[in-house]
Amino acid sequence: MKKRLFGLAAFLLCTLPLMAQGSTDDFFRSTGKLYVVVAAILAMFLGIVIYLYNLDRKIKNLEKQIKNE
Amino acid sequence: MNSILVLLHKEFTLEFRQKYAIGGVFLYVFSTVFIVYSAFIQIPTTVWNVQFWLIILFAAVNAFLKSFVSENSDKQLYLYQLVSPLAVIISKLIYNLLILLMITGLAFLTLVLLAGNPVRDAGLFFLTSIVGAAGISIAFTFIAAIASKGNNQATLMAILGFPVIIPILLTIMKLSANALGLIQDTAILSDLGILLGLDALLLSLTLLLFPFLWKD
Amino acid sequence: MSSMKKDWWKWLGVFILTLVILIGLLVPLNPGITNVSPSNATSGTTISVSANGYNTFFTSAKNIRAWLKLAGDHALAAKSQEIISDNEIIFTFDLPSYLPVDQLYAETALVIDSDIDGAFVRPFALSINQKEVNVELGEQAWSSDKITDLSQTNHFRYPFRNILVETIRNTYFHVPLWFGMILLFLGSTIHSIQFLRKPNELSDQKAVGFVSTGVLFGILGLVTGAIWAKFTWGAFWSWDVKQNMSAICMLIYAAYFVLRQSMTDQDRRARVSAVYNLFAFMAMIPLLFVIPRLTESLHPGNGGNPALGGEDLDNTMRMIFYPAIIGWTLLGVWMAQLKWRTMRIESRLRE
Repeated sequence: MKKRLFGLAAFLLCTLPLMAQGSTDDFFRSTGKLYVVVAAILAMFLGIVIYLYNLDRKIKNLEKQIKNE
Repeated sequence: MNSILVLLHKEFTLEFRQKYAIGGVFLYVFSTVFIVYSAFIQIPTTVWNVQFWLIILFAAVNAFLKSFVSENSDKQLYLYQLVSPLAVIISKLIYNLLILLMITGLAFLTLVLLAGNPVRDAGLFFLTSIVGAAGISIAFTFIAAIASKGNNQATLMAILGFPVIIPILLTIMKLSANALGLIQDTAILSDLGILLGLDALLLSLTLLLFPFLWKD
Repeated sequence: MSSMKKDWWKWLGVFILTLVILIGLLVPLNPGITNVSPSNATSGTTISVSANGYNTFFTSAKNIRAWLKLAGDHALAAKSQEIISDNEIIFTFDLPSYLPVDQLYAETALVIDSDIDGAFVRPFALSINQKEVNVELGEQAWSSDKITDLSQTNHFRYPFRNILVETIRNTYFHVPLWFGMILLFLGSTIHSIQFLRKPNELSDQKAVGFVSTGVLFGILGLVTGAIWAKFTWGAFWSWDVKQNMSAICMLIYAAYFVLRQSMTDQDRRARVSAVYNLFAFMAMIPLLFVIPRLTESLHPGNGGNPALGGEDLDNTMRMIFYPAIIGWTLLGVWMAQLKWRTMRIESRLRE
């Protein structure tokens, strides 16, 4: 498990140079507007998390009902 | 067929017995036109177009709201045993279409009286009015049938109806803007086709789905 | 183990999405030209044109050639070049006295060909003015150079588009949401039809689950679209016909939940909302597919164009785009399933 995590971390580290391939002051490749894609993915992630959170709350209510019975 | 005629006859006698209901709709048309007229004095053609269809839209909501609400459940049960749901919905559709055509005519006359007649292409305007009124009446009749099952009919009717009516209304407005000479467009025939297609789609859905709503 | 087998599609969805996110973000774009200066020139002069390359490797290229290209077969090769960096290069052109057109100006494209990066073009890079028209002399001067022997590169890369640049990757995140939404609504409609044919609680719950994730996908589609629009069209909301119709579509399905709330009787609620759901799906189709085609739109694939054809989606992108639709849809179905399972437990507890 530890080895796998290490592998994953190494892989992610290897991808970092790819992200910063342009010049160093080009944060998130702003000439290429990559930040737009990142923002879109974050928005989707956030939306899915909110949906799951709501579902979680509903299930918590049900668990409470089961406990009370 | 016979039952449709009988039901239509019933609708009309009921309507004319309660004159206040239909009178209310007419009063509504007149007062809206009058208010807008006094606010603008000179009504520009663009406003004329928008106002004409908005009056028809809201008058339709008001007029159709009670089409299924007034049927209390005892009477509905009785009707259900007597006639098929298809006869009920067809008679309602015909009745509502006739009422809406009357409202359209009245709104047109009132607007012409107060704000002048900007119509350039009378044929196109007439055609748009009839096909458009058919679309609006079909959509709102079915929405009224659905809304009558809920608790707060008036609100439900607005929430369910307006998103559905927007594509029809946008197409109508574009066509009638053509008829009023506001825009020059070559796609009139395809727009009319779209409108007819929407009418046909809504009509077939209504006829198909109403029986499921009716049995209670 | 058995649940593992039954849930294979969930893992498939997650696997596809992981690949889509990784490949979608990590594969670089083809090289392109982001800026050319100056943008105006006069015939008969010698001009130095500086070009900013994107994803280019000018310093390691052994052979770089450049042309100014006019409509037709007319081109003018660069006389000399000076490489400033990997992303900047200056070409010098000897502009002939006349243009091969019967106008006082012409728009030229800048074509660069490098043995490492391949060939790439900036359309409308330089507009050239001339004082008088002489088509014959212009034809002669602009015909001697030919754009030939362009380098072929065979990298797995996404296309470079001028205004889009890296945001072209949003094709894997924004567009599949809409396809997923339509598929989820379709699933919901099928369950509503099943309910109307043979009333049962499960069909009703499944329909609700599908609608709720469909609406989530629709809202996310609007949000991601607005973010993308801000940086390519200039505003979050441009009153584009497809934006408007999608928003109305969300209203139609929001009304589905309002309708359910307004009824207390279980059977009636299930039946009436199934009827409305069918109606809503049918009302959505002209909204999303028919009306946007009639009017001008900023979206590709409208105003009579075939959707997602030719230039907008090349074969490399298709290889990721289609799996992306499947991946997002599977994730949506999973979330819908969680929703209806919760509803099922809720209704069991109520009894």
